[in-house]
Amino acid sequence: MNDQKLSQYPALPPGSTMLKTKLTPQQLDQFQAELDALRSEVAADLGERDATHIRSVVREVRLNAVVGRGLLMFGFDPISFIVGVCALARAKILENMEVGHNVLHGQYDWMGDPTLNSQKYEWDIVCDSGHWRRTHNFEHHSYTNILGQDDDYGYGLLRMTGDQKWTWRTLLQPIWYALLAIGFQWGVAIQDLKLGRWFKGRMPKGELAERAAPFLKKARSQLYKDYVLFPLLAFWNFPRVLLGNALANLIRNLWTNAIIFCGHFTADAQVFTKAEVAGETRGGWYLRQIQGSSNLEGGRWFHLLTGHLSHQIEHHLFPDIPAPRYAEMAPRVRDICARYGIHYNSAGFWRQYGTVLWRILKYALPVERRPRLVDA
Amino acid sequence: MTTSLNQHLWLGLSRVLRSHWLHPLNDADAWERLRVWMNPMWSRRDYPARVLDIIDETPDTRSFVLKPTARWPGHRAGQHVVVQVEINGRRVHRSFSLSSAPTPDRRLRITVKRQPGARVSGWLHEHVRIGDVLRLSAPTGRFAPAEGAAPLLLLSAGSGITPLMAVVEELHRRGDPRAIVFVHCCRTPTDFIFADRLRVLAAEWPNFELRVHYSASAGRFDVRQLSVLLHCQTLVCGPRALTQNVETLFLAAGVKDQVRSESYSGRVLPQGDATQESFGVHCSDTEQVFTARGDTSLLEAAEAAGLKPAHGCRIGICKTCQCTKRSGTALNLRTGEISSEPNELIQLCISVARSPLELAL
Repeated sequence: MNDQKLSQYPALPPGSTMLKTKLTPQQLDQFQAELDALRSEVAADLGERDATHIRSVVREVRLNAVVGRGLLMFGFDPISFIVGVCALARAKILENMEVGHNVLHGQYDWMGDPTLNSQKYEWDIVCDSGHWRRTHNFEHHSYTNILGQDDDYGYGLLRMTGDQKWTWRTLLQPIWYALLAIGFQWGVAIQDLKLGRWFKGRMPKGELAERAAPFLKKARSQLYKDYVLFPLLAFWNFPRVLLGNALANLIRNLWTNAIIFCGHFTADAQVFTKAEVAGETRGGWYLRQIQGSSNLEGGRWFHLLTGHLSHQIEHHLFPDIPAPRYAEMAPRVRDICARYGIHYNSAGFWRQYGTVLWRILKYALPVERRPRLVDA
Repeated sequence: MTTSLNQHLWLGLSRVLRSHWLHPLNDADAWERLRVWMNPMWSRRDYPARVLDIIDETPDTRSFVLKPTARWPGHRAGQHVVVQVEINGRRVHRSFSLSSAPTPDRRLRITVKRQPGARVSGWLHEHVRIGDVLRLSAPTGRFAPAEGAAPLLLLSAGSGITPLMAVVEELHRRGDPRAIVFVHCCRTPTDFIFADRLRVLAAEWPNFELRVHYSASAGRFDVRQLSVLLHCQTLVCGPRALTQNVETLFLAAGVKDQVRSESYSGRVLPQGDATQESFGVHCSDTEQVFTARGDTSLLEAAEAAGLKPAHGCRIGICKTCQCTKRSGTALNLRTGEISSEPNELIQLCISVARSPLELAL
């Protein structure tokens, strides 16, 4: 973006462009080489340790699911209900975040295990894995934070930056956000239906049905499992199982939503325009991934329950490296960023999530409206 | 009557148990993982087999005597199995001939020559101990002598002796009346796999003749000097150069149906630093063929040829275009990794051909 273009903009919020470091082409190439070298080093070291990790998480998921569902089915007291809900929620969170999301990225394809293969894995969530591979692995990870290309930026529902269009319904976006968080698995499940295009009549006839078919099939099997099969197996205990399963799904939805919103919507996470990224090299792509993402700090258990999305920056740089490795790579990435003067966005969960909620509230109001607008 | 009723009931029950209405209670992967975790011999995928004995045949060759479970479907002499091992977290598959004929005690034997630089044979030598469990595929292959009265020639070189040892044991077990000439070629007497067993057989079995050619002392083995060659039903096993030679001779003599061969080929190594060269790419699932230059990504080359492989980001991120490379060598331009082992996953958008390729597309 040249100066002449920049001057067309009204005053930008302080900080937002300051945090976008510009590197010369030579610097960018060198920066790219350093990150490539880090990736190669870790990729060459993959082995037994990573295989043992993912298999032990799969075991833990199954154990938690069996214990959780067992307590809900056979228990009759409130304590076993609470423990059962927590165990089942934990199973779903670990399965979605550490196993499903990471396996679907192909992080474990090198193991040659068909049950952990990115093209074959189906996860415990209403979102069809084929849809996910397209909207997330391809669209979100290629076009990260590019307005108009990355649908994950606001999910076509929320205005998270002044560059997105404001309308009267944006005023109610705290409510929209609460609804999205509560039903988050449904939000990501219908992302690939491109309902926005359908509402505007821009979708050819029949395309919606075609897009919806895998979603409907997956949704049917998930609803059947949690709200028909397991409640029926509990006989007279069925209301308890029904409620427990709904709560476990709700907890998973709220948690995954909070973690995922911390990935790209914190105060310092940058957005990009199509013009800005024209002719982008891999070094430029790396730079955009860092500047558009933010990390969460916490202990080992916290990282595991986020599926290591707490290392969002490392995940976006190296989406197909097994996630537990991000913790080892983070100090090196941070060091590289420091040497190139690139802002490395990292803080504790509450601080980061606080800034996300603040953005949702702030941009609900018609603030920072800019001439070049993209639909929210 | 009752058995058929029982069968019907059993079939009906197993169909109900496998119904998708019971998912995830009947998740086959989860139950398999649980069984294997409790006891690897309880696996119901592939065929687990316990290592009963390990025999050093030569300084670089070892036999593994295996006992499969009751599910083992049985094999015929000359067949091979695919052995699946996990090396540093990676599952790897390799074919090995069964070097024993079927026996009443249902024991199997595979005989593995340690090849320099080969991952699987080296791993089997170093890591497998008595009591371990190996995973085998069902036996496959149709490498066996034809029925008839014509004399038999068994010809092998190096570790090509392994399926022929099973054939010899089988012929001996059923007292085959044919005259049998076994010609084996190896470097030195210490490299002669199954030497003792074959010498004992030659001594006690009048219609069995054993000839050994040691190439270190007697020079390169020339199959054309074998006078009995074209007059026998012939089974040949060894490196591709040998089997091709023999087949050509039989073809030229117009008796191609009298020879059966099995060869092993090593890895397909890159053919020079060929960025300008073009290589044929065979898509084995759709039986389509295209040509890829060494400096054009396989995805672009496939598209230029009118194919439409699934793809997404085109920069090596999303893995939509990932497919199994069945054979050949490809270079990953992003990481610089060379993939030359069979059945490895490659990303078409960032890989270029370094040899002719076969892809699962």
